[in-house]
Amino acid sequence: MRILIVDDSVDDRRLLEAILGNAGYKDVIGAASAREAFKVLGLTGPVDGLVLPDLVLMDIMMPDMNGIEALNIIRATESFRDLPVIMVTAMDQSDTLQAAFNAGAVDYITKPYNRTELLARVRSSLRLKHEMDQRKTREQELVSMTVRLEQVIHTLQGLSTMDGLTGISNRRHFDEILDREWRRAARDGKPLSFMMADIDFFKPYNDAYGHQAGDECLRRVAKSLAGCMRRAGDWVARYGGEEFAILVSDTDRPGLLAVAEALRKTVEGLGIEHLSAPGKVVSISLGAAQMIPKPGSSPPMLVAAADRALYKAKQAGRNRVCFAEDGAA
Amino acid sequence: MSESPVSGDGTIRVTVDPDLEDLVPGFLQNRHKDVEAIRLAVEREDWATLQRLGHSMKGSGGGYGFDSITTLGAGIETAAKARDTSAIERLVSELDSYLDHIEVVFG
Repeated sequence: MRILIVDDSVDDRRLLEAILGNAGYKDVIGAASAREAFKVLGLTGPVDGLVLPDLVLMDIMMPDMNGIEALNIIRATESFRDLPVIMVTAMDQSDTLQAAFNAGAVDYITKPYNRTELLARVRSSLRLKHEMDQRKTREQELVSMTVRLEQVIHTLQGLSTMDGLTGISNRRHFDEILDREWRRAARDGKPLSFMMADIDFFKPYNDAYGHQAGDECLRRVAKSLAGCMRRAGDWVARYGGEEFAILVSDTDRPGLLAVAEALRKTVEGLGIEHLSAPGKVVSISLGAAQMIPKPGSSPPMLVAAADRALYKAKQAGRNRVCFAEDGAA
Repeated sequence: MSESPVSGDGTIRVTVDPDLEDLVPGFLQNRHKDVEAIRLAVEREDWATLQRLGHSMKGSGGGYGFDSITTLGAGIETAAKARDTSAIERLVSELDSYLDHIEVVFG
């Protein structure tokens, strides 16, 4: 614990040093003026091996610059905002005492010194400083912890299988499922069915009803699509924006079209108002494709076929299902 | 720390904390210098210096155990504010005599 004494009287500095030293505060340095104190604090320029004090005892009445002016200058420096400064004053200076507290003094001691009082005030100020330092350290720890936590959250989001907005599978997860189901279908020699669904006129919906309503619309559509997935091996995922991907395993073309039609009707049946759409409610278009995995074919080909079918459905007037003839097995 | 006049030769015994033993000679020497400085300042009617010297003595005396120095310092500071030359002269003589008659005991 380093204590800086700022006092123009050499007798007072020596006395303080002796009292503090006998109480165990061995690291006491003296400054005979405000200017000297600024030098010790590194305010006038860089200092080699600068060790900052934990406490300053500042005499108020000093020639050239008094203690209050000096304190104002010290407090103007950000790093000394919390440095405890005890003002030292003669007993009869209550008006200057107010000025001292206004300038940011934490306490005051009167001259002539009463040893017990002096040491009690020094101790409590140093304790305060220690607690503030600890608090600052904890705050810094909290900040770095928060940064690390954010990094972990970011990593976990990358590993997540769920779409944050709708709660159904996200695209990353869906791609894994598609690969798995593709291999299973290849093994079994059975057709794998894939559909791409897209909400009709979604941008005008957002523009008319706002993004919060848009999000709510996505959630309701996602929920209703997920509610239609009844068999193991059936999957729905949010593929991006207002696009949903649906996987239907082990079914023939009429079965797939029946599922697609059921999805379309379900969304239409939600009756979500959309006044600028021809049907006045939110609807979806679907492109369906089916393949039996063979050498030379791959999941992206199935997805592309469904995409083309979806495009046809949109071209044909939306709120309908189109089947990808080129994607048929 | 206490002061008690000892009868007879006029010696004033001052008891000072043994922790301050090393500092007391220097402190008293500085007060002898103050006596000279005060007399010079009175001649020059340098009230600011007189006020400062009195204030300083007032602040340090009692801390070392010399309560009389605090009392005399306070008197000099007040007299300097009032520009009361005769009071200052009387007080500085008292200080001079006090310094000549003290016997410091550590304990």
